[in-house]
Amino acid sequence: MSERAPRSAEPLLLKALALAFTIFIIGYILVPILVTVVMSFNGAAMIRFPITAWSTRWYADFLGSPQWMDALKNSILIAFGTAAISTTAGVLCAWAFQRFHIPFRDGWYILIMMPLFMPGVVLGLGVAIAFGGISFGGYALYGSRELVMISHSLWAMPLVFMLMEATFKTLDYRVVEASHDLGGGPLRTFFEVVLPMVSTGIVSSLLFAFVISLNEFVMALFLTDRDTQTLPVLMWLSLRSAGTPRLAVASVILALTVFACLTIIMLWYVRQLRKVAR
Amino acid sequence: MTAAARSDDAAFAAQRAAQERRKALAPWLLMLPALIIVLLFFGLPTLYMVRMSFNLHFDQRLYVPGFTFEHYINLFSNPLFTGAILTTVKLALVASLATVAIGYCFALLVWLKPARWRLLFIGLALAPLLISEIAIIFGWWMFFPKNGLLSYALLSAGLIHDKVSLMYTEFAAFVGLVYVTLPYCFFILLSIFDGIDKRLLEASADLGAPPVRTFREVMLPLTWTGILVAFSQSFIWTMGTYATPSALGPDTLWTMGFLIQEQMLGKHNWPMASALAVVLVAGVAAVMILTRSMQSERNSFHV
Amino acid sequence: MTAPAALELQNVVRRFGAVVAVNNVSLTVGKGEFVTLLGPSGSGKTSTLRLVGGFEELDGGAILLDGQRIDHLPAYRRDTATIFQSGALFPHKTVAENVAYGLRMRKVPKDEIGRRIAEALDVVRLKGFEARYPAQLSGGQKQRVALARSLAVRPAILLFDEPLSALDLSLRLQLRAEIKRLHDELKFSAIYVTHDQGEAMAMSSRVAVMNAGAIEQIDTPETVFHAPSSEFVYTFIGESCCLPLRIDGPDLRDRAGNPVPLALGERPADGECRLYVRPSRLRLAGEAASLPNRLEARIHFIEFLGDVYRYHLKAGALELAADHAGSIGHGVGDVIAIGWRNEDMRLFR
Repeated sequence: MSERAPRSAEPLLLKALALAFTIFIIGYILVPILVTVVMSFNGAAMIRFPITAWSTRWYADFLGSPQWMDALKNSILIAFGTAAISTTAGVLCAWAFQRFHIPFRDGWYILIMMPLFMPGVVLGLGVAIAFGGISFGGYALYGSRELVMISHSLWAMPLVFMLMEATFKTLDYRVVEASHDLGGGPLRTFFEVVLPMVSTGIVSSLLFAFVISLNEFVMALFLTDRDTQTLPVLMWLSLRSAGTPRLAVASVILALTVFACLTIIMLWYVRQLRKVAR
Repeated sequence: MTAAARSDDAAFAAQRAAQERRKALAPWLLMLPALIIVLLFFGLPTLYMVRMSFNLHFDQRLYVPGFTFEHYINLFSNPLFTGAILTTVKLALVASLATVAIGYCFALLVWLKPARWRLLFIGLALAPLLISEIAIIFGWWMFFPKNGLLSYALLSAGLIHDKVSLMYTEFAAFVGLVYVTLPYCFFILLSIFDGIDKRLLEASADLGAPPVRTFREVMLPLTWTGILVAFSQSFIWTMGTYATPSALGPDTLWTMGFLIQEQMLGKHNWPMASALAVVLVAGVAAVMILTRSMQSERNSFHV
Repeated sequence: MTAPAALELQNVVRRFGAVVAVNNVSLTVGKGEFVTLLGPSGSGKTSTLRLVGGFEELDGGAILLDGQRIDHLPAYRRDTATIFQSGALFPHKTVAENVAYGLRMRKVPKDEIGRRIAEALDVVRLKGFEARYPAQLSGGQKQRVALARSLAVRPAILLFDEPLSALDLSLRLQLRAEIKRLHDELKFSAIYVTHDQGEAMAMSSRVAVMNAGAIEQIDTPETVFHAPSSEFVYTFIGESCCLPLRIDGPDLRDRAGNPVPLALGERPADGECRLYVRPSRLRLAGEAASLPNRLEARIHFIEFLGDVYRYHLKAGALELAADHAGSIGHGVGDVIAIGWRNEDMRLFR
């Protein structure tokens, strides 16, 4: 030990550096979050520090504004739709990859994953120009919530697919065979045995898709109109005109929606865990 | 063999053939929803976009069918667009380098810290992922300006005497960009670190290597692939984004993403927007292919 | 017309690429018969079972269950039930739900399902475990549930896929006896796949020894053990020592050319051959005196195996092992006599 003594100054320096970095990183990540939370309780009409009056008037304002509440409703509807579409498509597709021999497997894999690596602005532009003028019997596809759901699925579905592909690989295939063996056809086996066994992966998929869609606003900006615009789109547009503490409230409410989902799912996980391993 | 047995065999073969056909069809049925989404809402629009980029644009109409290279020529000769391409690449490069550097230190820190801190740090890193980009932009938007928190904090600490504004500077744009891409980088690198045996560090120290040397000769080679993946990931992301730089940066900070949006929603010039998008996608693809090839070279080197 | 067999395999073939996993296997399992497929790993025994269960597709031949062809049917339309090596219980279903699954698929009425669950769990002695999840059971209990789940559907044939190989020894012996008891009680038809000859001998009506995708011999356990039909069966079942010899008229030599003074009873034709004897049938020292086949051998080393001592011996280039209860009063390096009867050896060429 004694021969290492001369170097003891160096670890001390490293320790100081590590501490400084820790403080920096915590500060960096928390600053915009804390600023937003604090500002949402500002009583004044302007965004200005220091805050002199505290109130919840902007929360009341948000909840009382049909425009903002509609945007929140649109956001949540679209997020639910995206979660449903991308989880269904992604899970089925991953099961096909796991269960069957598919010709040109790698090619299809790349094709399905590709949208995930595309900038939102490109995807939004593509869908907007391709489906801009199309309507079905008076129902315009452009500006509809459905089109936004599908566009958001371009990001969410490959993620679900990737996650479920990995999940299916951990599935004990003998259990699936056991179900067939006992007379369970492919459909019943899929719903009664396969899906419950990968329920954790499916719930995670739903959550991912939901959060992605809820927070996304570039594609939504290209594809929504005044009636269907989502909360992030409305925030973006009003940030461009003038920022008020109402925006901070919107941020907080958006984040709360995400955290509410997260909490529900955590509770579900814990329940599930208790059931299987007591 | 009797005639009855033969017809039995024929019926049997037919039944079996039907079974085979059903089995061959099943994977396509399962893949159908995903393929519809990808082919109809990604493949088709992409092809349409490529075609659109060759259309004409005049008379304030969205586009006029035709065939011209005008937009591409314009893209590479008009200083507005060449400037945007350069700005985009420069910003993406600097922001990604910073993201990887910070993300690397962050991941290293979490990896080295005792396990009880781990969950806390991971929760911290998850926060920017779960928050909308627009909310992050707005957070910084309240931090940097004259009446923002930064100015107020510095003023009350007595470090400055006049209100300062860092808003609408390249620095603000840069801080915002790094913030958004940091979590991806962090999780990619943390997963790489988790695959490394910590005893390697002790072994290196035992052999008398000082920490800096250990880092250069042990850690860096082991994490090189992770660094490449993290870098390309954040590079691709920053190249395609436009909201953060256009909201926090100066008015002159025109990225390609911003111009696509501007041409599409502002100028209603669909062919130009498409041409820009095609070039952007080509850039993204080039970066992906480049990092992929660097990775495989590296791997073949090891094996 | 006689009643059809429970299961009949006719010239069954299964290939994996260039490898023929099951090569022209024919096998008949009578009603209530318990047939074991015994063989080393890669001998095609599990593939054969999986073909019957419907988890693999046939490349040739036919499979008949109760006289009806089933090889075109998917697994879920076959009246077979498999007990898997891992148990393969549904982890998200309780014991009762696991047992009920096959009955529900067969549209058995509800009250009947309840009765059959109770009956099946009673038979495997797991009454009171209905509400547990598989994660809350021990390895042996899991296999009992798997057994109950398969028994409950009353299949035309039960297929056992090495169900005991994942368990430890004492549990294995216990469950082995239990499966034997159940078979005696319920008289189900079964195919049992194992690489453990003890299991095969203890439980089977008949044993089929498989090698390289084909059945080498199929007969009662006693016949397979005492009258193996081939060199492979002889060496796979029970322990044996191999003496490579060369016969040249009256001359008998080992591979090194040393003369070997053995009677060999009836003299076989000239050429290379291999003589096999079982360690348990070798007699040592004084006990070897009056036997027709006798050798002088040096004790190489001695192993204590519990019930017996195993003497490893060398006679010229020949190596032998002989079991003897208790010590014979000789140690390593001593030269002693060993001998065996004509009926205790087998010659293969």
